Amino acid sequence: MYEDEKTQQNLYAFKPQLEKMSNWGIALIVVLVTVIGFGVYALYIQIVDGHIVTGMRDNVVWGLYIVNFIFFIGISYAGALISGILHLLRVPWRTPIIRMAEMITVISTMIGPAYILLCIGRLDRLPNLLLFGRIQSPIIWDVIAITTYLSGSIIFLYLAMIRDLSILRDNPVKNARWRNPIYKFLSVRYKDTTKQKEILNVSTDLLSIVIIPLAILVHSVLAWIFGMTLRPGWHSTIFAPYFVIAAVYSGTGVLIVVMWVFRKIYHLEAQITKIHFNYLGIIMIILGALYGYFTFSEYLTSWYGSIKWDMEVLYRLFNPHEYLALFVFAVFVGVLLPIIIVTVPKFRNINSIAFAAAIAVLALWIKRYLIIIPTLESPLLPLHDLRPEYVKYSATWVEWALTFAGIALFILLFYLFSKFIPIMPIVRTGEEKDYSRLRKIVFEKQMKKVIKHHNKSDAAVTGMMILLLLSFTPSLMAQDDSKIQPLLKLEYFHIDSVNKLAATLKAKVDGKFLPLEDMEIAFKYSQGGNLTVMNISTTNDKGRASFDIPEEIIASGGDKGVYLFEASFAGKGNYESATGRNSMKPLRLELSFSQKEGGKMANLKAFESGPDNQWIPVENLDVVFYVPRTFSLLKVGQASVVNGAASVEFPTSVPGNQLGYLTLLAKVEDNETYGNVEASGTINWGKPLPADKILKRGLGDTNAPLWMVYTLIVLLSLVWFHYMYVIYTVFRIRYLGKS
Amino acid sequence: MKRRSTNRRNFLRLGIAAGATALIASGGSVLSAISAPENKETGEKIKLLTPDGKLVEVDKGHVCCQPAGNLEARQGLPDKKMVMVIDLAKCRNARKCLQGCQKMHHLPPHMEWIKFYLLRDSEEMSPYWFPKPCLHCNNPPCVKVCPVGATFKRTDGIVLIDNDRCIGCKFCMAACPYSSRVFNWEEPKLDKGVDAAAYSPETSSPPKMGTVSKCDFCPDMVRKGELPNCVKSCPNGVFYYGDRNEDAVTNGTDTVRFSELIDTRAAYRFMEELGTEPSVYYLPAVDRAFDYKEGFEGLSEEEITLYKKEANITE
Repeated sequence: MYEDEKTQQNLYAFKPQLEKMSNWGIALIVVLVTVIGFGVYALYIQIVDGHIVTGMRDNVVWGLYIVNFIFFIGISYAGALISGILHLLRVPWRTPIIRMAEMITVISTMIGPAYILLCIGRLDRLPNLLLFGRIQSPIIWDVIAITTYLSGSIIFLYLAMIRDLSILRDNPVKNARWRNPIYKFLSVRYKDTTKQKEILNVSTDLLSIVIIPLAILVHSVLAWIFGMTLRPGWHSTIFAPYFVIAAVYSGTGVLIVVMWVFRKIYHLEAQITKIHFNYLGIIMIILGALYGYFTFSEYLTSWYGSIKWDMEVLYRLFNPHEYLALFVFAVFVGVLLPIIIVTVPKFRNINSIAFAAAIAVLALWIKRYLIIIPTLESPLLPLHDLRPEYVKYSATWVEWALTFAGIALFILLFYLFSKFIPIMPIVRTGEEKDYSRLRKIVFEKQMKKVIKHHNKSDAAVTGMMILLLLSFTPSLMAQDDSKIQPLLKLEYFHIDSVNKLAATLKAKVDGKFLPLEDMEIAFKYSQGGNLTVMNISTTNDKGRASFDIPEEIIASGGDKGVYLFEASFAGKGNYESATGRNSMKPLRLELSFSQKEGGKMANLKAFESGPDNQWIPVENLDVVFYVPRTFSLLKVGQASVVNGAASVEFPTSVPGNQLGYLTLLAKVEDNETYGNVEASGTINWGKPLPADKILKRGLGDTNAPLWMVYTLIVLLSLVWFHYMYVIYTVFRIRYLGKS
Repeated sequence: MKRRSTNRRNFLRLGIAAGATALIASGGSVLSAISAPENKETGEKIKLLTPDGKLVEVDKGHVCCQPAGNLEARQGLPDKKMVMVIDLAKCRNARKCLQGCQKMHHLPPHMEWIKFYLLRDSEEMSPYWFPKPCLHCNNPPCVKVCPVGATFKRTDGIVLIDNDRCIGCKFCMAACPYSSRVFNWEEPKLDKGVDAAAYSPETSSPPKMGTVSKCDFCPDMVRKGELPNCVKSCPNGVFYYGDRNEDAVTNGTDTVRFSELIDTRAAYRFMEELGTEPSVYYLPAVDRAFDYKEGFEGLSEEEITLYKKEANITE
């Protein structure tokens, strides 16, 4: 098989690449591994010390890593474009460059996602993406899309390699003890029979149809990470197509650079000719012009609309002290220079096109930087921070080390891969054979036609000092000789037929009353001038101690219906002793509800204890009505008791529970005679509370909207069905090769 | 009445859960004030209202004082809808709220869950101080983008973060239009005791390296019937906090009808046009209690210059 002259020539030309490793090659690997090793060290530092070692901070939360992420996913487009579109259109000159394009795709799709991992603060929790993944999040879209894209690219690359693998199986490579069995295994008994050939061609076509929309989707999803936020410069509908175009542009650029490099190191001048550079150069500048058009459209729209926040980002980009130089390079140089080089015949040669491509790639990297950083530096609210590193992003050595490690890894993988299988297909496919004739006639004609805050810490320290001072003042004062006179307040409460005494101990320190905790308070009852200690309790952190007055004391009738209580504090440390007194006359409040034609009323009756344990109606007493709420009491009315009775309208507009039950409190507060007395009642006259909302599906909920779930299922099954089918055909090829 | 000894969650469903008027024993503030120190098995009984208006008595330890675990914290306090009203007319950038907040959440001095801006809508207008906690949006951009559901919106309106689940991708920080979120860029330096405490998304403590944090609206305090520290620390009563379902907010001193307050004072929500539907309402800075310049007190020269630059003040 493959007896044609071209294939034999190629085999003869490419086999040495697989058999020998030059000293330069070894040196290159050593250098690359060193750079990668340094990156691994930087990663170790980042994991141990946290993201503080990077230039990322609370406002610029993403930096070089995300720039590299977009960049690598972007250049992966080379494969999708060249191998997909050129294959489908049967473009004759594609064969020598098709494998390089696919390798760019596979390698950069493996490296790109590593950068998004570097943005993640807790790598140990990555399994959470699987355990708790929410398909409403563009990050999950990305995870799904990139894994699918990578799988497809690997399968596609493999399909395109099967023919060459079978040749290498039949012509064993020297010095390849462990590689030859791999060639044999991977070549799946491919013998280029008519049936096998047909199956392989159909599968390759099928996959290239699937991979094109998939690639567009992958980069759109990447753009949506930014487009879905409410940030100026990001929240733009043009973002997805803009990212797609920029990606293809940079992918083509990288492909040209890679072609140029391998042409030099493997001496492939016969295979990769000026025609390839010219054609790809034209594709590149068309894409560059589209990219320039999208950029112009994006910034013109923002500038014309001149929304405050958009203007802030634009101001940064056009400010000579900020990003103007980079912006000019990324947009003007990055678009115009390649166009000039490719279109003006005088400038157009292999080296200059490769140079233009390198400039375009660099410009596109910078453009991604300009998409990410200036927007993050322009939050909607002023970026009020005195720490310069929180205001302005600048990448640290860790980020640069990992950036270069990624580039080094890209080169290393590429180089090693080129040692495993030739960098371009050995086998020339059918339509390829006309190519040498074609290039002379068509190309020249086509070319002729085509030409046309530092001191923030001060404030913080001051704040801390104030806090420290406040917390230490009691102990500071202890060194003072003068003793502090605390205040002891004694209050009486009658709540739900329990009689309570509450004492509050406070001391004035630096003009402010602070509660004294852990102090002993003695509660006493005075009868006929005799003080009896009822109870001793300790104050809590609010300086408060309380005691329930025993029933028998109340039952004793007091001093003609009046009771005298005292609370005393014996003094402790630098605090002098203090006493609080309270005399009270028992008061009984009764709350009831009634409905008249005038409306719903709350009625209160008030009685005081008279001589001989009788209860007599109270004259003149102010009562306040409250509704208890979570934190405090909401005042809903007040009334004066006349002849032992008062009534207020029930606050029917105040929400109760779901059935409308609402509690109303009637309170007598800090009354000189009666102390604090209250009564309460509950009735379903309040405004009923609407029932809790039933969990729904939505962007902010745990469950995604159904259309999203269905879309995802349909898209994923479509793509994976094709993958499965293609994998099945590979087994079929293997089965057919048995005979 | 038979006392109920069901677990806390079931009880909450029954009691606070359905009965909006919760602590009727004596009215929240008084009760918590006389009660024993927090977080102890109290043995103290409090009364709660069941949905059908009956009173039941339970141990206080069953309803409050312990912040919820990671999964329970996703539920939200039943039948509540927490809101905050910030009275810009009374703010003079004293920053006591922030100090109270940092103390309560054991935050380092530079980590600010409440940020202070000097805003000026245009050059003819007068500058005003603008304290900004997390706005706990009802349509939260941060929650939408979280890939693992580590930040979530609860039924009570609170947006919380589960720092045990957060992978630290910072997407929520990029998505928040209000710069409310901060990142633990390095291992937090914690006092002894704080680091050993059990983590709860409701206390946001202890913080964890490589994860996001922000103002949590203090649901642990709400469980206890207590106000968040920012509300309590403000000397001017700027912050009103409460349950919109109860139609009441309080700044610790005054308790007012929420609907009346936002109606009579023409409240607005910040950047309503973004469609985020914040739970924080602002009362416009009219009839101000302070001149904005008083807010410069105690600030460094550098910070004053920065504020003036942000507000376009040239003098």
